[in-house]
Amino acid sequence: MFNSKVVFVIAFIFIGFNSNSQDCTLSIKGQVFDEAPNTPLSYVNIFIQELVTGTSTDEDGNFIFNDICPGHYHLSFSHIGCEGQRIHLELTVDTTLSVLMSHTPTSIGHVVIEGQRDDLIAQPNVTVSRQAIEDNANQNLAHLLENEAGVSLLKNGSGISKPIVHGLYGNRLTILNNGIAQSGQQWGNDHSPEIDPFAADKIKVLKGASAIEFGGGNLGSVILVEPKRIENEPHLHGQVNYIYETNGRGHHLNSRLEKYTPSLAWRINGTLKKSGDRKAANYFLNNTGIEEASVAVQLERSFKEKLFLEVYGSSFNTRLGILRGSHIGNLTDLERALASDTPFFTEDNFSYDIDAPKQQVSHYLAKVKSKYFFNDEHFLELVVAGQLNNRKEFDVRRSGRTDIPTLSLAQYTFDSSLKYTINFDNHWNLKLGNQNIVTDNTNNPETGILPLIPDYISWKSGLFSTLSKELDKTHFNIGLRYDYEHQNVVTISKGVPKEIIRFTNQFHNLSSLLAAKFDVTNTQSISLNTGYAMRNPAINELYSSGLHQGVSGIEEGDVNLQTESALKNTLEYKWLPNTDFSISALLYHQQFKNYIFLNPQEEYRLTIRGAFPVFNYEQTDANIYGLDISTQFTIKNSFFALLRYSYLKGKDTKNNIPLIFMPPNSFYGSIVYRIKKPISFSQNIKIEETEIEVNNRLVLEQNNILASQDFLAPPPTYNLTGVKISSNFIFSKYKIRCFVKADNLFNIRYRDYLNRQRYFADDVGLSVTVGVNFKF
Amino acid sequence: MTTKLIASLFVLSTSLFLVSCEKDDPEIPNEEELITTLNYTLTPQGGGDTVTLSFQDLDGDGGNAPVITSGTLAANQSYTGSLELLNEAESPAEDITEEIREEDEEHQFFFLSTISDLTIAYSDQDADGNPVGLTSTVSTGAAAAGTLTITLIHEPAKSASGVAGGAIANASGETDIEVTFSINVQ
Repeated sequence: MFNSKVVFVIAFIFIGFNSNSQDCTLSIKGQVFDEAPNTPLSYVNIFIQELVTGTSTDEDGNFIFNDICPGHYHLSFSHIGCEGQRIHLELTVDTTLSVLMSHTPTSIGHVVIEGQRDDLIAQPNVTVSRQAIEDNANQNLAHLLENEAGVSLLKNGSGISKPIVHGLYGNRLTILNNGIAQSGQQWGNDHSPEIDPFAADKIKVLKGASAIEFGGGNLGSVILVEPKRIENEPHLHGQVNYIYETNGRGHHLNSRLEKYTPSLAWRINGTLKKSGDRKAANYFLNNTGIEEASVAVQLERSFKEKLFLEVYGSSFNTRLGILRGSHIGNLTDLERALASDTPFFTEDNFSYDIDAPKQQVSHYLAKVKSKYFFNDEHFLELVVAGQLNNRKEFDVRRSGRTDIPTLSLAQYTFDSSLKYTINFDNHWNLKLGNQNIVTDNTNNPETGILPLIPDYISWKSGLFSTLSKELDKTHFNIGLRYDYEHQNVVTISKGVPKEIIRFTNQFHNLSSLLAAKFDVTNTQSISLNTGYAMRNPAINELYSSGLHQGVSGIEEGDVNLQTESALKNTLEYKWLPNTDFSISALLYHQQFKNYIFLNPQEEYRLTIRGAFPVFNYEQTDANIYGLDISTQFTIKNSFFALLRYSYLKGKDTKNNIPLIFMPPNSFYGSIVYRIKKPISFSQNIKIEETEIEVNNRLVLEQNNILASQDFLAPPPTYNLTGVKISSNFIFSKYKIRCFVKADNLFNIRYRDYLNRQRYFADDVGLSVTVGVNFKF
Repeated sequence: MTTKLIASLFVLSTSLFLVSCEKDDPEIPNEEELITTLNYTLTPQGGGDTVTLSFQDLDGDGGNAPVITSGTLAANQSYTGSLELLNEAESPAEDITEEIREEDEEHQFFFLSTISDLTIAYSDQDADGNPVGLTSTVSTGAAAAGTLTITLIHEPAKSASGVAGGAIANASGETDIEVTFSINVQ
């Protein structure tokens, strides 16, 4: 009853009352259904781990196991195109199961476009599955989303990246880590979100018009990083995941343990990563190593099915090296760097050392969530959370000052939210909620440098309401949200003598959403979204002042900036005629008023270190529109194909020029050969779901930009090819998954438009990755 | 009962918001690494008027524009050049020249003039026998007008081709100082 997002439902129907516990004459039988059309699902493999025995469902989705002794059993269900599922069963009587599998034919490449059962159903979204998270545990959060339609990455070298959804990132994109808006220095284009994706079970990108329920100043898109609830399963389960990557010689170790007891269910996740200098096609990218150590603990308990409590705590710590050759002094240096074939400071040797320039970041999160059920249709959720983000950035400095950070910020954030949900009158769902966020940001004066962004405290409070209705063929969702923000800012003047200048700001923001999904036929649907949202200027946009190292530009905020607003419309069409074919196309358009952006100024500023380009935060009107297409189909028997295409165009409509830093158009495609039938070697070992995949990513040159808008023309089109072979070895008590893959197989030299280090160096060359995942 | 519970939780949830306070005054960082001033003192060999080229920007990046003092040199004359770097934002002014001297292997000045007859030669060395540029010899030729750009590179590749001879092209590293003076030779 607590599971509001039902993806996989199991109903137990007990037949027979005779608990003849010593006789091994019990049976487990049942029927498996496809969730989407709710039809019986044939050829589902069912395996009882303890007995090392298996069967498959017949034409009508039925299965049966006879002559089983009473006891604890783990049943695993697997089917082509579904994520494997496991059920724990304490068998005392003959048992009949009714199993609903979330089967869509769209899971090739391990991304399931879910038929959700919550009120987000009318909004377009994509989800990255647990399997993909495990296989890519050596990557950071943003990289996991890289191949999704409509998502791209803003990178600063190979290790630092942040997601871009429909052209929006940073202050305009909210990332919710376990329901809490990720706080930190999200404004920085060279700041990765401080989240270990391994702690999550799925990562969902909402690409709709407005996300009313989630605060954080978003203008449409939200990324949800979600651990799932701990399964009601009394045995200790866990996994160890190890990945080695040749490029960077990186070792990545993850582990997870979980256990359910009625008094307390717990889960622990841990991650350790260490990698050294990455290599482009022809040379080492010196000082690009990464170290990371993180841990997350999740505790759950429910009290008499009335009250559910969850406590979550995580600690994320990382050290990220930044390409030494990208640290430059002024415009003359940039010109020298552009003229150089290889980056400055390139060495012939590999090293794990991380020297300046580097970033050192710690992020801590503690959260308590309680959910109280008045009854099944009527519940209340209270969440309280605290975060601490500690960021230190180091540059190469004179006279032993390299060990003193040039940027040192501590940010405390406190969240509280209260949400009341009621289901009434046949499929009406109403939510009322309040969210409060207090952010306290402080510069540490140890830097010996005037801070780029000032100290501040901001208070933010929001009220929202959403109403959704589910009819046979139509889902509606409307929502309204109001946010108030109060900023108390303390800046230090640039002049001599230095003075402290205080600012107080108040903002009122409104957002609204109208969404509908129509099932045109059983296999076709159309979703329409219209959303309006306001975002007040962020602290960095108002008060930035000083040199932003790395871009070697002086960034100046503007205290007179106004709130920006956006109207986004989306139209999505989905067609899933059968298990061999599916397509979805999403068309979107977002119109901005007072769009805040960094505008390069015509005059350079003369300093003792030479001339610097100046970027001012300015406002204009803009629009962004695009198209995401995703299709999957069976080519023949065991060959499957997946194709994705993202098109996007951004325009400054006031000045009639392109918007800078917009993702170039791209294609992603893969062909998978899958061995459908499990191979049994012996009684005790079985090989399942062996796959061979060839994939290809084509990123086109960004033509929608003027030469005067950047130091260097956008890099040309590039095409990267990869291969992957994976297989699962099923033993009676455990499962081992192995894979080997090669990325940038042909060791192509390329540069990416959205990688800020493209001025200095090529992107990463060939990399071979080997992974082993042990689950019990 | 339900209403009461929701109301009290709402108060609890928003109570966070009511704890309002002013942000404390920040501690103004001590910008000891800042270079505000460069003085290039040219003393004529064999007597004459000393010329000082100076670049002074007391408030750092932004704020007021820097004050640049250019100079006039005598034709066909040799000068002993001496560079001085100061942080005049501190009181008393901090001598940055000393920092450079202590780390002379990691620093090198480069002199580039648009006047072809104006030559500048290094007259100092670091421990490895490579030039630094804190002291130099300037020789003028015929009367001309142009500019002189002085660049200080941190962590240059001193052994790269031409760098020890004063060519900046292969120097790599990053710029700590780059100032340009108008020069009149008459």
